[in-house]
Amino acid sequence: MKKFPRLFASGLLVLCAALAPAGCAEAQCQDRNDNASFSAPGGPDAAPPGGTLIRELGAEPATLNPVTATDVYEGIVNGGIYETLSRRNNRTLEFEPLLARSWEISKDRLSYVFHLRKDVKWHDGRPFTADDVVFSYNAIKDPGVAAAHLQSYYKDVRSYKKIDSHTVRCEYSKPYFLAFEFCSGIPIVAKHVFEKGDFNKNPAGRKPVGTGPYVFESWETGREITVRKNPGYWGRPAGLEKIVYSVILDPTVKLQLMRKQELDFASLLPLQWSRQTCDASFAGKFRRAAYTTPGYSYIGWNSKKPYFSDRRVRRAMTHLVDRETILKKILLGLGETVTTTFFVNSPEYPGDVEPYPYDPKKARALLDEAGWKDTDGDGTRDKDGVEFRFEFLLPSGSQTGEKISTILKEELSRSGIEMTIRKIEWAVFIQNVNERRFDAVTLGWSLGVETDPYQLWHSSQAAAGSNFTGFENPRADALIERAREEFSRPERVKMYREFSRILREEQPYTFLFARKSTVAVHRRFSGVALYPLGFDTLEWSVPKALRRYAR
Amino acid sequence: MKDYVLKRLLLVIPTMFGITLVTFLVIQLAPGSPVESMMPADQGIRSDQVTKDIVERTRKLYGLDRPVHERYFVWLRRTVTLDFGNSYRDHRPVIEKIAERLPVTLALNVLSIFLVYLVAIPLGAWSAVRQRSPAERAATFVLFLLYSIPSFWMAVVLIYFFGGGYFWDVFPIYGVHSRGWEELSFAGQAADFLWHLVLPVFCLAYAGLASLSRFQKGSLLEVLREDYITAARAKGLSRGRVLFKHALRNSLIPIVTIVASILPAMIGGSVIIETIFSIPGIGRLGFESVLSRDYPVIMAVATISAFLTLAGILLSDIAYAVVDPRIGFGGRS
Repeated sequence: MKKFPRLFASGLLVLCAALAPAGCAEAQCQDRNDNASFSAPGGPDAAPPGGTLIRELGAEPATLNPVTATDVYEGIVNGGIYETLSRRNNRTLEFEPLLARSWEISKDRLSYVFHLRKDVKWHDGRPFTADDVVFSYNAIKDPGVAAAHLQSYYKDVRSYKKIDSHTVRCEYSKPYFLAFEFCSGIPIVAKHVFEKGDFNKNPAGRKPVGTGPYVFESWETGREITVRKNPGYWGRPAGLEKIVYSVILDPTVKLQLMRKQELDFASLLPLQWSRQTCDASFAGKFRRAAYTTPGYSYIGWNSKKPYFSDRRVRRAMTHLVDRETILKKILLGLGETVTTTFFVNSPEYPGDVEPYPYDPKKARALLDEAGWKDTDGDGTRDKDGVEFRFEFLLPSGSQTGEKISTILKEELSRSGIEMTIRKIEWAVFIQNVNERRFDAVTLGWSLGVETDPYQLWHSSQAAAGSNFTGFENPRADALIERAREEFSRPERVKMYREFSRILREEQPYTFLFARKSTVAVHRRFSGVALYPLGFDTLEWSVPKALRRYAR
Repeated sequence: MKDYVLKRLLLVIPTMFGITLVTFLVIQLAPGSPVESMMPADQGIRSDQVTKDIVERTRKLYGLDRPVHERYFVWLRRTVTLDFGNSYRDHRPVIEKIAERLPVTLALNVLSIFLVYLVAIPLGAWSAVRQRSPAERAATFVLFLLYSIPSFWMAVVLIYFFGGGYFWDVFPIYGVHSRGWEELSFAGQAADFLWHLVLPVFCLAYAGLASLSRFQKGSLLEVLREDYITAARAKGLSRGRVLFKHALRNSLIPIVTIVASILPAMIGGSVIIETIFSIPGIGRLGFESVLSRDYPVIMAVATISAFLTLAGILLSDIAYAVVDPRIGFGGRS
């Protein structure tokens, strides 16, 4: 499905070229944003609460059951409905109390005690207690509950128990710097709602009952989900009276709905950002923001293949990827080139390290040095009777992946390497990668605020885990293991910088880009602050005179 | 006739069995698995040994650990009692998910098919009568032009010009009714609903228009060459009478056979049009289910379409005999 939008967009462009109406003047504005116009973080400009927000949802969530849901759309909707024990402060990204009023951490860092708030009620009026927390944890662990995606996070939790009606204790089997995040971050559902019947089929998956500032109102399949402000909320009440999450799959339609002012808050495609929203009419209605989200894209080289087993070859490949031009031409400058596996805006990221430059000469020298030369004169390099021919695997629908691979193919053929491109559907793609049946792939990882590189880079994950390029390095292993038990972030940062140096030497991936999220927000909202990780709609409201919808 | 219908009905059973078996095998043996597709984008691959066990357990939860033939019979046993099981994605009964999406798909398709017939038959007849006139040539040209325009492109162009935002704000472009629909009167609701369907119905219909009107034209031309038409003309019947009473009615017979293809198309839905216009129909449900390997939903949609196809073929055979007395049912010596 993701393949269509580009066709649509190009269809539109053709149309514009043919008719050249005022609406699609080819002005470019990728460098323009209204980031500075959003009120300073933490100081939302005062407007009386109220108003309606219509927000884009890129696809419909399968379910609103926070334990069995696996898509990101559930999180967007449930973000206002369900709550966890703690949350990260928007500005500082440090943990602050939410359903837990305070916590204690044992000296050995294995035991985490949470004191729960006593004034919290579920949306149906029943009180929230320790039983709900323990029930939710047990549900995640229950093999009959479809929560496979969460179970892997909680495999190191030894027990999660109730101490009294408003105290719980989470015990870890080994010290781990992310233990607090996992213990305090479990999705919490109401025991009295879920205890009867099959957990997976519980009707609350269609009409959630939470503790949060928004109460679920309605879900019209395939169209929209509506939530309304919780009048009895225990904490600081939300600003907006109502939020409508509108499922819009086609980006052209999305942009047009924005122009008609029927959509208030949505993401924009790079092309829409740089060319189709530059006019004064759009700027008069919307503010545009661009911010980097935690994550990056990359090309992974399967080190178990003869050609990619040598790090000189992998480095040569990186020298052959013209990342600067790709970023400028394909991503329209909406991102930055990265050099390692950490979030580019976190202290773990070594900002002083320059990416390897695009340098075909250097690449050829490296390939020659590694013994890959064209000995049989057929135009393709070879070594020990193996021709340097490989397949580049990408999931169908990855538009940028497609463009990058075409450029790369051209570039490699000039250096005597033959690359074929194969696009396959996502479900099959995963299977190929899991079974290590690939030469090179392009993919992206999304990251947390703090990320443990263990899953991606530890040698124990090379055979069957996420370390699918087969990266194995004893020094890296030691650093990753030590960092897992290091509770001081500055100390971890030191280790991770060291680890990043190893990654730079080894180039198991050619790291590509950290992309920017590009969004537009209607101008009538006040209290809109742009935080390091984006927006928090809980603080938004609409001044009385500007309200567009009746209750 | 009764014997014939009964025989045909009995034949449906083994045919259905064959169709579902092949479909089942194809989708179950296709690479990719529902469990891995269920993992969020990057977690599908983030799996170490422990996760492998979890994946195994989840497979068990859905009964995917058993061999394929066993699974087929489990499915078959359930399906003959009209129980299509629960979706893997949200654990809701499949039948409920389909029922939720059926009305809008039906409305969309019935309307567009109706529109196609309403316009195509007179248009085809007119083309046959006015064959090779400049107007007919122009019409043919336009029809072929329409036929060659892909519907997604047409949809985007229509939205661009008639959807507001740039040019004329005439038609809604999102969903099948406006916000606040519940508060309208019944007539208001109906009008709003139809207004929302204008663009999608047009996009679904225009390509069919070309083919069906060509079909009608060919059929009528053939009839007009028949001896009995010449005889009717020789008898001195008026031009209109020859055309409408004798020729047109007979030329409609082949059109009847097309009924067979209409029935399944009515619930088939269209992924592209439904996606562009944000219409929650069967087409999108089926497509999304295939992508996420939601076997129960795929099987249910496939089974229902297969059944409707067979029913359509049977109906058209019967209808054929009803409208054309020359055609009888087998067994006559």
